Amino acid sequence: MPVTSTTPSKTAAPAEGAASRKGGLPRGGRRKREFTTRRGLAIVAYMAPAALFVAVFTYYPMVAGGQMAFRNWKLSDLTDTSWVGLRNFADVFADPAWGTVLGNTAVWVVGSIVPQLVIGFALALWLRRRFVLRGLYQALIFFPWAISGFLIGILFRWMFNSEFGVVNDLLQKVGLIDEPIAWLADPDTAMVAVLVANVWYGVTFFAIMILAALQSIPDELYEAAALDGAGKARTLFRITIPYIRTTLALTVLLRVIWIFNFPDLIFGMTGGGPNDETHIVTTWMIKITQQGDYGRASALGLLVVAALLVFAVFFLMATREKKGARP
Amino acid sequence: MRRRTAVLALGSATALLLTGCSTMSPDASGTVTLNMVESLTNPTRTALLKDLIADFEQRNPKVKVNLVSPPTEQADQKLQQMLQSGSGVDVLEVRDITVGPWSNNGWLYDMKKDLDGWKGWEAMTENAVNASKDAKGGTYFVPYGFYGLSLFYRTDLIEKAGFDKPPATWAELLEQAKAVHDPSARRYGYAFRGGANANSNATAAIEAYLADDVDPANGFKLKDGRTIFAAPEAEDAIENYLKLFKQASPKSSVSWGYPEMVEAFSNGSTAFLLQDPEVIATVSESKSISKDQWGTAPLVSGPGGKTVQPLATAGWGVAKGSDHKAEAVKLVQFLSQGEASTSFTKKNSLVPILKSATSDPFYKSGPWASYVTMTEQPDKYLVVTQPRGVSWWAEWQQKADADVQKLVLGKTSPKELLAGWDAFWTEKWQQEQ
Repeated sequence: MPVTSTTPSKTAAPAEGAASRKGGLPRGGRRKREFTTRRGLAIVAYMAPAALFVAVFTYYPMVAGGQMAFRNWKLSDLTDTSWVGLRNFADVFADPAWGTVLGNTAVWVVGSIVPQLVIGFALALWLRRRFVLRGLYQALIFFPWAISGFLIGILFRWMFNSEFGVVNDLLQKVGLIDEPIAWLADPDTAMVAVLVANVWYGVTFFAIMILAALQSIPDELYEAAALDGAGKARTLFRITIPYIRTTLALTVLLRVIWIFNFPDLIFGMTGGGPNDETHIVTTWMIKITQQGDYGRASALGLLVVAALLVFAVFFLMATREKKGARP
Repeated sequence: MRRRTAVLALGSATALLLTGCSTMSPDASGTVTLNMVESLTNPTRTALLKDLIADFEQRNPKVKVNLVSPPTEQADQKLQQMLQSGSGVDVLEVRDITVGPWSNNGWLYDMKKDLDGWKGWEAMTENAVNASKDAKGGTYFVPYGFYGLSLFYRTDLIEKAGFDKPPATWAELLEQAKAVHDPSARRYGYAFRGGANANSNATAAIEAYLADDVDPANGFKLKDGRTIFAAPEAEDAIENYLKLFKQASPKSSVSWGYPEMVEAFSNGSTAFLLQDPEVIATVSESKSISKDQWGTAPLVSGPGGKTVQPLATAGWGVAKGSDHKAEAVKLVQFLSQGEASTSFTKKNSLVPILKSATSDPFYKSGPWASYVTMTEQPDKYLVVTQPRGVSWWAEWQQKADADVQKLVLGKTSPKELLAGWDAFWTEKWQQEQ
């Protein structure tokens, strides 16, 4: 975007800034400082703590972890950590459980995100209306987001316990089932149970994001649509959804990445069992780490990063707004 | 002003870097600070350890101890990272399952020479002395206590089912648990372990069926050199164990770990539970069952009337990277003898390491009596070293836990399961040689 030369701005040329300093500034303008070595050093000094922190605690572990993926890095014997090329990656793909793990990951992501989006959207539409104690309702609904995923996993593990859990108890009391279901003892019902827990947990994030976007839609648009005789469904699909499309796309992107990378809940509820049949890629990675094979776990970690990068690029390209397309 | 802020920022960056590199060195007064890291952390135990440390510091004014207590789930991983970095730890909690890999990686200090001729050894039980020695004779940790299985049972429920005493064998356990089991009344026979650490009770059953044939130096090896999983008796044991699940345990116990098992017993719904003594404290606090409704019996035996005590242990060790090994060993000695040790085992519900405990009234009565019975009859309750220290133990646990779940879900047979376990251990031992 071109900058207009008549307005004093941050992007004005340095020469102009130097002149302004001597001769004074136009009223209301901002002084542009000359870039000197001293100022450069000061900037470096200001940035140093954060840069160092990120370098030490983010980039170093990433690089250190990344190189383990190409080495024989087993905690049981660190006397031999020789380079093994792509062997760890080959081991990941050769694992008989790999197919199940990938399938479960797909079920986990899609089965979580679709209900989360639909219920979160409905909640946001509902919370947008004004009613008594709306603020309190909003706070209560967003509360689960503040709790650790692992803790939620443990809570749901007890709730879904066949003999002592509240879920079976309620279902029996309302007459939906005759005898208790052993939710976490059967791989299929265990997957349903973890999905229910994750939907409950994740709905609030969608509700928060969508509500914020909804509040940015001008009321005039709805008033005009009402005057033109548009019904509720038409208003939803022609005004509401197109207007918040960017937020929706970004929220879905973020949630796909987070849900993919969210082993806490499954780990707390089923530990990947029974019979290793509820593992997703990230819980599988934890299992391999627990076996002490950091090399293979790191290889899996790199694969996850690569897959999510590719996904993010494609997703952003596919949902990128065309110029002028937004209503 | 701005310059000062910039200097401050640069200074804090440097400080951040340096704190990561600093080590605890003696200060001007000659006081040494030891970093001690625990692993099986819980708040009560941490408080107890702090009391013991205060006592140690009082007796050793030139030594200060800084206790680090990471949450249990991450503790061993944190310790590994600290040990790998080579600094920051002096005294640490070493478990029978971590001693193998950690000593193998050269992270632990061999205290053998320092503890030569130490009086503490004489006061210890044979189990404790043996557990402190590794295969090559090194001393990488001194155990503070043992976790051993005993049978928690409901006196009232078995009486109602027509039995006048608790089961003594695995077959009797099945019989009594079956008699009590009535899911429609929400009453269950046995708290089966199908989830985390499911392998431990399955192998305990196999070892009981083989008892005398098991190599005392390696609980998974027969005296003839084969694995215990290759013996025909192992199949009988697993068949019986599977029946215990199918005929006497709640369905959902496929995924039960420690919390569910203990809950099932202490909420009054389940008649039998095989667990460590630390559960005594939890069950004693139960509001659903009173003290006269439950008791403990020695671990059930095999058809030969004998069994193997699958003892698990942990203790205190010294990091090889420590700059203050002499003081660190002193702390280990202090915690492993006399009043400090007795108080630690009693308050943590552990099987004690000191011989004097058998005459202590605390261990002679109530739920503790069964542990003393087992210790006093080593011919019937055989003391066998479990191979928990091998470097592939974590791999084994993961594999065996998944296999037990496969078995109870009907996705594998006892024969296939045992063949797999036999092949696993045979291969590992061959590789080791």
